[in-house]
Amino acid sequence: MTAYLVSILTEGAIFGIMALGLNVIWGWSGDFDLAYYGYIAVGAYMTLVLTVGPAVAPAQYILGLQLPYPLAVAIAVISAMAVALIVGLIALRHLRGIYFSIVTLGAVYVMYVFAGQYVPLFDGYNGLSGLFDPMGDWFSLDYLSYQYFFMGLSLAMFVVVYLLMWRISGSRFGMALRTLREDERAAAAFGRDIYRLKLKGYVLGAGVGGFAGALFAAYLSAFNPSAWSPVEVIVLYAAVLVGGRGNIVGVALGVLIMGMLVQESTRFLPSVPGLGQLNTLHPQVLLALRGAIIGLVLILFLRFRPQGLLPERRYVDRQPALDATPGNA
Amino acid sequence: MSAPATTPALEVRGLTKHFGGVYAVDGCSFEAPLGQVTGLIGPNGAGKSTAIDLISGFKLPDSGTVIFKGVALEGLPPHRISRLGLIRTFQSPREWAGLTVLENVVMARWDSGREGFLRGVVGLGRADREKSANELTRAREILDEFGLATLRNERAGNLSGGQKRLVEFARIRMAQPKLVILDEPMGGVNPVLGERMALAIEGFIASGTSVIVVEHNLPFIQRVTQHVIVMAQGAVIAEGPFESLRSNQDVVDAYLGEMVRQ
Repeated sequence: MTAYLVSILTEGAIFGIMALGLNVIWGWSGDFDLAYYGYIAVGAYMTLVLTVGPAVAPAQYILGLQLPYPLAVAIAVISAMAVALIVGLIALRHLRGIYFSIVTLGAVYVMYVFAGQYVPLFDGYNGLSGLFDPMGDWFSLDYLSYQYFFMGLSLAMFVVVYLLMWRISGSRFGMALRTLREDERAAAAFGRDIYRLKLKGYVLGAGVGGFAGALFAAYLSAFNPSAWSPVEVIVLYAAVLVGGRGNIVGVALGVLIMGMLVQESTRFLPSVPGLGQLNTLHPQVLLALRGAIIGLVLILFLRFRPQGLLPERRYVDRQPALDATPGNA
Repeated sequence: MSAPATTPALEVRGLTKHFGGVYAVDGCSFEAPLGQVTGLIGPNGAGKSTAIDLISGFKLPDSGTVIFKGVALEGLPPHRISRLGLIRTFQSPREWAGLTVLENVVMARWDSGREGFLRGVVGLGRADREKSANELTRAREILDEFGLATLRNERAGNLSGGQKRLVEFARIRMAQPKLVILDEPMGGVNPVLGERMALAIEGFIASGTSVIVVEHNLPFIQRVTQHVIVMAQGAVIAEGPFESLRSNQDVVDAYLGEMVRQ
């Protein structure tokens, strides 16, 4: 039970960081980015090739260094941001709305297929593995205490990212991103360089995603294409939507709810009469049902509470009005 | 024709834009006097809105030049033109719907120093914090002036059409441009608000903002402008004080006929 709790909290923290990054791109800038999971993957892959050491035949991958984990994470984050910059430079120039989404969907599938097919990069569909307990030997931790250590690290990193997002949310930079979401032509008319500002938000969000990916790689100690189907991003969107797009407290809440739903659905579903039996016959049934439940939650929220459980909060000016008589100009 | 004595607020020379074979703006030239309200009128399809898009950088002209404060604007992106002090509005109010009325006004002022990502993370220095506080006070004063004080915490998207126009005016007041181009500010607005809008435009002039106003509401043009430019088929066909245009046969033929007959 404790082990279960530890894994839930660790995953929740990493999942939370992912959602906070997505919230920058979708919640604040307002762009429905489908390439987001690609940046998580870049972060994870780069962390692995920078820490696991040289490839042993028949495995093959680039770099194969043995850098200290924190340094590898830093480089992984920069790599994710660099890839996002390239995608953003193309996709954010003129495309908006559904057209932007389609291009980013294309971009993530290019990344996905490239990582899978071009074996010398990240060993294709075999993927990478062998990152065991990074930083564990610094503190000479045994297996069990390492699980606690990594849980603590993930939670601490979630808090750090959360505080960073909290700072940005209330800043003029965060406000400027929101003016793009609300009406970018007006934002341009009032002096905002839309393209540059959108790129900044996009690369920032991707960097947070890459960071989450770097933690994810350490948690899984491996990463391969089957670990990151690009459609995974929908669960992240569901978390941001359910919690409250643009509101970081809401995003954290959404992660909790969706995380529980994803985790627990595979637990309680087999207890539904007949389903357990069906799943032994067709092992994909539970997984498919889980997807259907997530989809249902998304649809219900979009229909009945599109602003999420905790809508974006706005600054409330409590100064008494100078002259509260309307029409007194 | 009343020739402006000083340097004009805006000088447009031979501005041309065609879409396929259609010349939306075709050799449009005019000057907007400094410190005055210039009306820009003309029938639908005369090219007024396209001309505004060309001047403000939202569309690229095929040829022609736009001089503002001694700078040639053509080819510059909209935000650069805005930062030079030329702000335009749109036919429909473009409020930042999810932000409050107060936030709409505060964010109307662009500031590179305080808007950077790093400033967002690290926070502002004391001088910048003071600047922000002063701006907040200024925004409150402006909202008060426009009778929007009680609505300042309301999301701008929830306001009525007329109120949104007032928010737009408040944003311009906050931004304090050298020149503002108002694209049909009376569109969809209750005539009762007209007088308030007119006073607001006078307020712009008083605070050093020259005004160009595109409008179909001719009584409003008559009320607020000192100088009127008439466009038809992409070019300027007449200009002068509103009164002088009533007797101009070209203008009457192109546009004013209905009004004069009434």
